[in-house]
Amino acid sequence: MKRFFLSLSFFLSIFMLSGCWDRVEVNDIAIITATAIDLTEDNQIKVTAQVFIPRALSGGGGLGTGGGDLTLIRTGIGSNLADAVSKLQMVLPRTIFWGQCKVFIFGMGLAENGIREQFDFLVRHPEPRGRAFMFVSKADTEKVLQLLPPLERYSGEVLKELLDFKIGLPVTMKDLDLMLTSDAQNAVLPLIKVYPPNKGKTENESIPYISGSAIFSKDKMIGTIGEYETRGIMWIKNMLKYSTISFKAGNEEEEISVSPVQSDVKLKPRISKDKWKMTIKVQAEGDVVQNETKLNLMDPETIKRLEIDFGKNIKHRIEAAIDPLQKEFNIDIIDFATEFHHHYPKEWKKVKNRWNEIFPQIEVSVDVNANIRRPGYTSTPSGLPKDEVKK
Amino acid sequence: MVRRVKSLLRRRKGIQPQIDSLDDHGSLSNKMDENIDYFRSVYANCSDVVIRPFLIGGMYQAYFIYIDGLANVEETDEQILQPLMNATVKNTNEIMNMLENKIPVTNIQKFTSLSKCIDSISTGNPLLLSDGINTGYSFCLAKWEKRGIGEPSAEVGIKGPREGFTETINVSTSQLRRIIKSPSLKMQELFIGQLTKTKIVISYIEGIANHNLIEEVHNRLERIKIDGILESGYIEELIEDNPYSPFPQILSTERPDVVCSNLLEGRVAILVDGTPFVIVVPTTFFSLLQSHEDYYQRFLVSTAVRWLRYLFLVISLLLPSLYVAILTFHHEMVPTALLLSVAASREAVPFPALVEALMMEVTFEALREAGIRLPKQVGAAVSIVGALVIGQAAVQAGLVSAPMVIVVAITGIASFMIPRYAMGIGFRILRFPIIFLAGALGLLGVMMGIIAIIVHLSTIRSFGVPYLSPLAPLKGTELKDTLIRSPWWKLNTRPHLTGDYNKHRQSPGLKPDPTKGGE
Repeated sequence: MKRFFLSLSFFLSIFMLSGCWDRVEVNDIAIITATAIDLTEDNQIKVTAQVFIPRALSGGGGLGTGGGDLTLIRTGIGSNLADAVSKLQMVLPRTIFWGQCKVFIFGMGLAENGIREQFDFLVRHPEPRGRAFMFVSKADTEKVLQLLPPLERYSGEVLKELLDFKIGLPVTMKDLDLMLTSDAQNAVLPLIKVYPPNKGKTENESIPYISGSAIFSKDKMIGTIGEYETRGIMWIKNMLKYSTISFKAGNEEEEISVSPVQSDVKLKPRISKDKWKMTIKVQAEGDVVQNETKLNLMDPETIKRLEIDFGKNIKHRIEAAIDPLQKEFNIDIIDFATEFHHHYPKEWKKVKNRWNEIFPQIEVSVDVNANIRRPGYTSTPSGLPKDEVKK
Repeated sequence: MVRRVKSLLRRRKGIQPQIDSLDDHGSLSNKMDENIDYFRSVYANCSDVVIRPFLIGGMYQAYFIYIDGLANVEETDEQILQPLMNATVKNTNEIMNMLENKIPVTNIQKFTSLSKCIDSISTGNPLLLSDGINTGYSFCLAKWEKRGIGEPSAEVGIKGPREGFTETINVSTSQLRRIIKSPSLKMQELFIGQLTKTKIVISYIEGIANHNLIEEVHNRLERIKIDGILESGYIEELIEDNPYSPFPQILSTERPDVVCSNLLEGRVAILVDGTPFVIVVPTTFFSLLQSHEDYYQRFLVSTAVRWLRYLFLVISLLLPSLYVAILTFHHEMVPTALLLSVAASREAVPFPALVEALMMEVTFEALREAGIRLPKQVGAAVSIVGALVIGQAAVQAGLVSAPMVIVVAITGIASFMIPRYAMGIGFRILRFPIIFLAGALGLLGVMMGIIAIIVHLSTIRSFGVPYLSPLAPLKGTELKDTLIRSPWWKLNTRPHLTGDYNKHRQSPGLKPDPTKGGE
């Protein structure tokens, strides 16, 4: 009997003492789908949140938005991000919930001023996801969130989906945190622009898209690089998923396009006689997806010739990405620093504080071994008489 | 308050149960009138008991006592009354001689004690008393209306025998004997219940079942002092190891093939007169999750079905509580698109997820219970109302969200997937405390609930066998019939229950192959 009352009081105390203090019903949370953080003209922090409206979805039976907006935009302005968020809460009747927010956008102004102070709030707060994607926006951040994408349900989802198949350089909150604390202490974030709306559509009926990257020295943005260079960086980081490489084969006028299926990249640092060298070894495999030329791809000899040109093209892309980093920005965002640190810890210690002097001096050589495995079409070029096919 | 309850309980302990004992009545006397007066007084106000006076050979006063409807009257008339009335006898010795040698009835018993006589009359055998003889002759001519052997309605299957036990224990034992023809199949009988005198048969296979186990079953059964046993459930509750557990620790079945397969594994069956449900001890958690059909189907199919069953066992226990926990504490754990649709469908619901879940689960349980009790004609009405109320109207009225209805429906189906009804209902009850825990502590609470259940399961035993065996304690070779259902040519050994056991069930190397046999 004693045992019964003991266990009963134990069981009851679970409910009484815990008291469900952090229980929040789904009906009482404001699900944030995307957040933008920017600087106002008078150097205040402005946070803009895209909040999901559940009623908009239930009205149409879950099928469509019907006409009503699926999200609403609210802003809060404060002396720092925490302050701004508490101001934001004042205009939202439900508890702000960051747990499903997968997109954080920094405005240009804030990025150039330094993101560390505000980024601290996001990392410290328990709710935001470590795997949320981070962006920098060239366009006005509030406008990006206000866009009504025709295909996806809200603009935050567009950005997340685009990064999911690696259109731009995917950088999560955890990655950014690691980048800022890494040996090189530099960061790179994907850059957003707004796609011009189709004719006859309102200004808002468009999507944000990723165009190039923003380069950060420490936590301050110092410049941008284009899409071509971004792709080069993604080659080095071996992040490419969908890409097509078109190149001119030998002396031909027309191009051949190859879609890489598999690639493997290895960074091999070397120090000899005070000369710092970095060899980037790339192993790439691809299938032909288009053949403009009159070459017969069924011939192994032709394929061999093409493989050399294919490799050259990849090499050029990588070099084009590294070149501005070394010469123009002097920013090591491809993490050569970590590689040297791992392989040459003693030498690294000596130059640790003047890495920005060493980095531009590193001799980079790119070594590509490219293969074309499948011609894609088991015949001579389509629509071409036999006698016109070139060897 | 606690002290008062305690003192009440203490007082209760002092009271000894008083049950009328009919055991001590002395023996038959030489004088006919005394005997008949005694029986007349015992059977006063028993209109179904017939006391029929007649003369043996026209000289000696005799009486027939039988219960109307329990004795075979035609046979009695033809084989006993007629020869006795027409006989020519000179003295009582001749009557005795005649009764023993000239009456064509297979089984005739002689009693001198009054209580034995009464017992025999109660079972339906007519009793003959004759002047000058201080012995009662009981003829085994009991016959009553009984239900024919039918399909076991609580344990149906696609493949396998279609016959089930009936309420008559002789029929049940005969069904067992018809399957296991060896004389090693033993049946020990026992009567429990001061008033019902219910016949209990302990059945086992000599040489396979452990002697200590048989003795333990005897001891536990003999402890029982009760006025009546109406169903094997009484016995089950009176002999199980852990009476407070929500899980059944004894297998109850109405299929002779299931009982026989258990007997062959060295278990003991307890048959109870008056119910088609036979109980089998010891049993384990996993054997309560197996169905008889697992062994009749191809082993690959059975293994797949077993895994499906284990999966749905977990679902039936946890799905509603996981739903509640995630929706009230862990919104970040669901994929965004799913959370958005759930949020949209919950928008109009005025209750917290916990209340919503409890409401729906209780309604479902009520519908299930009502569906069992109601007569067939009304059953259809209940299911229509239930489907409409739960499925449609509640969602349309905005009282319940559609995902919750789906959760309850899946949980309901899942709990019916457990082949043993008693096991399924145990899990169904445990669902509710876990829902509360989920509502108060989220996934942490769910984990606490799971841990508590696992701890409980690993502490209980059924007749000395750990309930979770062969998983805890781990017995590698026996997992062949737990995690998977190995093919019959691999099931060479019996499961180990307790103590010594007869290990080998069949000869090794039974795996069929076209090259084997007949070469």
